[in-house]
Amino acid sequence: MGRSEPWVVNHTIVIWVLFVAGSVLFFGRNYGYYYCFLEQYMMFQTTPGYLHARWAEPGGMNEYVTEALSLLFTRPYGAAMVIASLLGGISACFYAYLRACRLRATMWLAWVPAYLFWLYPQESIAPLTAILLGLLTALLYTAIRATWVRYAAGFLALTATYFLSAPANLLLAALIAIYEARAGKGKARWAVAALSLAWATLLPLIALRTVYILPTREAYFSKYMCHPEYPVPPSLWVLGLSFPAIALALACLKERRTPTRKAAWRAIGPYAIVSLAMAYGLLYREDPLAQAYRYDYYARQGQWEAIADHARAHGVRDKDALIYLNLALSRTDRFTDELTRFPQIGEEGFIPHDPRSRLGLIEASEVAWQVGQVNAAQRFAFVGVLSAQRLVQPRLMKRLVETYLVTGEYRAAEKYIKLLESTPRYRAWASAQRPLLDSAVCARTDWVAAKRATLPITDNPFDLTKAFPSALAYLVDDHPDNRPAFEYAMGYLLLRKDLTTFMHYMRQRRDRGEAFPRLYQEAICLFFSSVRPDPEEYRSYKVDKAVHERLLRFLKVARSMPPAVLKEQFGDTYYYYAQFVPGPK
Amino acid sequence: MRNEMKRQITRRLVIGYIIAQTIALAGASLSGCSGESAPVATDARAERPAIFPDYTGVTVPANIAPLNFRVDIPADEYHVRIGDRTYTGGATIRIKPKDWARLTRAHRGDSIPVEIMTRHGDAWTRWTSFPIYVSERPIDSRLVYRLIEPGYEKWHIVGLYQRDLESFEEKPIIRNDMTGYNCINCHSFRMNDPEQMMFHMRAAYGGTYIVQEGRISKLNTKTDETISHLTYPYWHPSGRYIVTSVNEIRQFFHAVKERKMEVYDLESDVVVYDTRGREILSKASFLSKSDFETFPAFSPDGEWLYYCTAPAQKMPENYDRIRYSICRVPFDAERGEIRFPADTLARADSLSYTFPRVSPDGRFLMYTETAYGQFPIWHTDAEIRMLDLRTRTQVDMTALNSSDTESYHSWSSGSDWVVFSTRRDNGLYTLPYICAIDEAGQPAKPFLVPREDPDEYDYLLYSYNIPELVRGEVTVSPYAIQEAARKNKAEQVRFK
Repeated sequence: MGRSEPWVVNHTIVIWVLFVAGSVLFFGRNYGYYYCFLEQYMMFQTTPGYLHARWAEPGGMNEYVTEALSLLFTRPYGAAMVIASLLGGISACFYAYLRACRLRATMWLAWVPAYLFWLYPQESIAPLTAILLGLLTALLYTAIRATWVRYAAGFLALTATYFLSAPANLLLAALIAIYEARAGKGKARWAVAALSLAWATLLPLIALRTVYILPTREAYFSKYMCHPEYPVPPSLWVLGLSFPAIALALACLKERRTPTRKAAWRAIGPYAIVSLAMAYGLLYREDPLAQAYRYDYYARQGQWEAIADHARAHGVRDKDALIYLNLALSRTDRFTDELTRFPQIGEEGFIPHDPRSRLGLIEASEVAWQVGQVNAAQRFAFVGVLSAQRLVQPRLMKRLVETYLVTGEYRAAEKYIKLLESTPRYRAWASAQRPLLDSAVCARTDWVAAKRATLPITDNPFDLTKAFPSALAYLVDDHPDNRPAFEYAMGYLLLRKDLTTFMHYMRQRRDRGEAFPRLYQEAICLFFSSVRPDPEEYRSYKVDKAVHERLLRFLKVARSMPPAVLKEQFGDTYYYYAQFVPGPK
Repeated sequence: MRNEMKRQITRRLVIGYIIAQTIALAGASLSGCSGESAPVATDARAERPAIFPDYTGVTVPANIAPLNFRVDIPADEYHVRIGDRTYTGGATIRIKPKDWARLTRAHRGDSIPVEIMTRHGDAWTRWTSFPIYVSERPIDSRLVYRLIEPGYEKWHIVGLYQRDLESFEEKPIIRNDMTGYNCINCHSFRMNDPEQMMFHMRAAYGGTYIVQEGRISKLNTKTDETISHLTYPYWHPSGRYIVTSVNEIRQFFHAVKERKMEVYDLESDVVVYDTRGREILSKASFLSKSDFETFPAFSPDGEWLYYCTAPAQKMPENYDRIRYSICRVPFDAERGEIRFPADTLARADSLSYTFPRVSPDGRFLMYTETAYGQFPIWHTDAEIRMLDLRTRTQVDMTALNSSDTESYHSWSSGSDWVVFSTRRDNGLYTLPYICAIDEAGQPAKPFLVPREDPDEYDYLLYSYNIPELVRGEVTVSPYAIQEAARKNKAEQVRFK
């Protein structure tokens, strides 16, 4: 080896690497759970019929790739890696395209459109895959030197990108037009620029009248870029138009002389811009429902302890997170111990009222399943599936399988098992359920037997989400040993400070010789000390001496002790809640 | 040099021929081929093989699309002989349309024998063969239905589709993603005529849409005198009148596992709409508070109006005690009037009857029987029944029914086929079955409408709702309906 060349820093590559690494960090840290949540609304199927169906719609193949990539979302930093790779590819391609157009390209400017995805994260990565295909095709187009071959390739590429990855054809047309205007030769280039734009715009209309029967919007943009039932979000327009806009802006600036600056500034400037932009994103751009999505992820993985641990460490920020927390407390047998340690809002913190949202339907199904209202769990799961954008929700389909197994509707369970078996992610789970389609095997399975033991006996029309206490009362009356239903019911009564109804249930439990958890003992103490003093009846309840004495201490100091100290000493008790925390309206 | 070139060309042609032959042979071995000798079976099973859809012993019209099916027996290889065609390879049997047309032509009025063999390791098992009976009577060529998720309180994607029964082609008539994701429901045709239809849209672009003579009318059918918009329709054979119910519909959900949900009416009436005068005719309507009337129909000669009726009850308290009878009254098409008294055809003593449909030849009345109520799709006990109107005797419908729900039904124009919706396959998704009805009214074993890939039914997340047979293609364009929905103002219907 001879003497090595002096090391020259390639700022373009460094900035690109910095941006990709920043994207991994940003999407992993700030939006990881969000994309895990969204992954549930995609279901990549490996059946020929599914592939055929995607072929048969504009942009369908783009969606196919998107769904395949989304399989990685549930892995740690999976979504972040996928998105960062796509953004990295987009910025690199755009940079190369700008250079091919003989524009004064810089990497920091080339990643601006990709950075917009930081500012406006979309529900799907479909826009990114479509943009990447559009840019890659544009780059290939610019690499063809033979003029007429390039024109012919451009025409074919516009048609192919439409069918495979609409609306990538629109972006491609704009990039072809700009390229021809900037770097093409001869008068024909202007005609080609105009024709490419015209062809990309007219093609969906032609397809609409010949190949597809679709709404016009879906013919242009496919139904996968954003939710087809809502208006196209402005951020998607910004994202798509930023590429031609930047190219055009650079083209306009080309002839202007850049003011002379010091070399050091020229080197530091892009780093400063990139660093500031990324710092802003990392520190200030976070999903407002991040905690709820995190808990949803834990719930999906069955990590109920993790929800409680996180809530203890960080508090609870929103209603959806609280519903998951209460569910986690019930799942981990700590409902009665810790209910009042967290800020509660009453019924709305137990189950969403008349749920319509994606999260709400999942939560309602989870709570209904937990309290043993299997029909309701099935109904919410069903509505959650059918109202999903792509009409699939594999997690709720799993719940459907479970509910149909419990109710003994094996043929319906088999339908969903077969559907889930067609997906790489859920195949193993679904195949594991197949033996349960045998009614004898199913009946012997512990979790099925446990669920069947608490199935409602008495029919009633009460919707769990609209008439929570009434629906629970039926469940408890049918099966007094249905622990989750009983805890939710008592939790509801205690939070509403309805001690009279609460004591109705406590008397039943006392007569059955049951011991009471600390929360109930505190409520019983409070009832007999402040609502209906009856020492004789009070003695018939098994109340721990420590609980009794602690209440006496509380009553003694409640008025005199500074509030902060009182809260510190008695904040975890029911009587503190009853006395000082406003109950739900 | 010249000879060298010739040799080269010849060599290439020979190689090309060998490659083409190899590909053809490989293709034939994968997809099945005729003339191949059957393997020697070492075992014989006395039962018929499990196939999906169950086409064993069914009766099909000669003009039906190929009955592709899947052998539901785990095996390493399958050998299927259908008539004189042989298929070897995978479990899914796809019959070429050309071959199927030849088979049905050759066996018209007779049966096509089907024999299935399965291989496990080196051993072949022969299963008991079964026939597919080919009727000489053709069926109406198109089936129109709504595809909807069998949901509860919510819909998402809804569409009216037409399926060419002679091929696998399915086309949307209108889909709700073209009309603001509204609800589209209750399509109805005049005597199986694809050129005269109606349907409703609810929510966005709400109204009743009537297609007649190529024109699409959009109507607002709620009047002060009627309790709701027009709901469950049926055309008069003249095309002038449409009889419909007006219903205040509600639903609730059960808590116990045996039941899912109930759809019931708080109130309901039957009215006749005159398409010529664009008015609801009070003299041809049942507007009583003391009774619920619903699911009306005209007789094919237009002289009778059939309907379901039950004494009004407090709902939903009595949801499982309300039972509907099927009655009819004479209808005077000239005057647009009905006359009383009513003739009761199926009396609701202990069961409830709904969906009365008279065969186009006027001989049979088909209807659905259930324990209570008039909306039987969630009732697993619901079965289809038929009354011979000449003798007023019941026809045995055992061959048509199953242990699961049978619900909506529609006659073909020749009175010899019916299509009906049933949940017999998975208990949840409603699928369309077609059944031959012979001259005595006896049903044959029904068959599931074939699809090109039978697996599609497994992955389908929609129910077939209100299957209706029509004589030809519905030619009104989805874009024309979309435009009518968006641009036309709903014309107010009058009450006369």
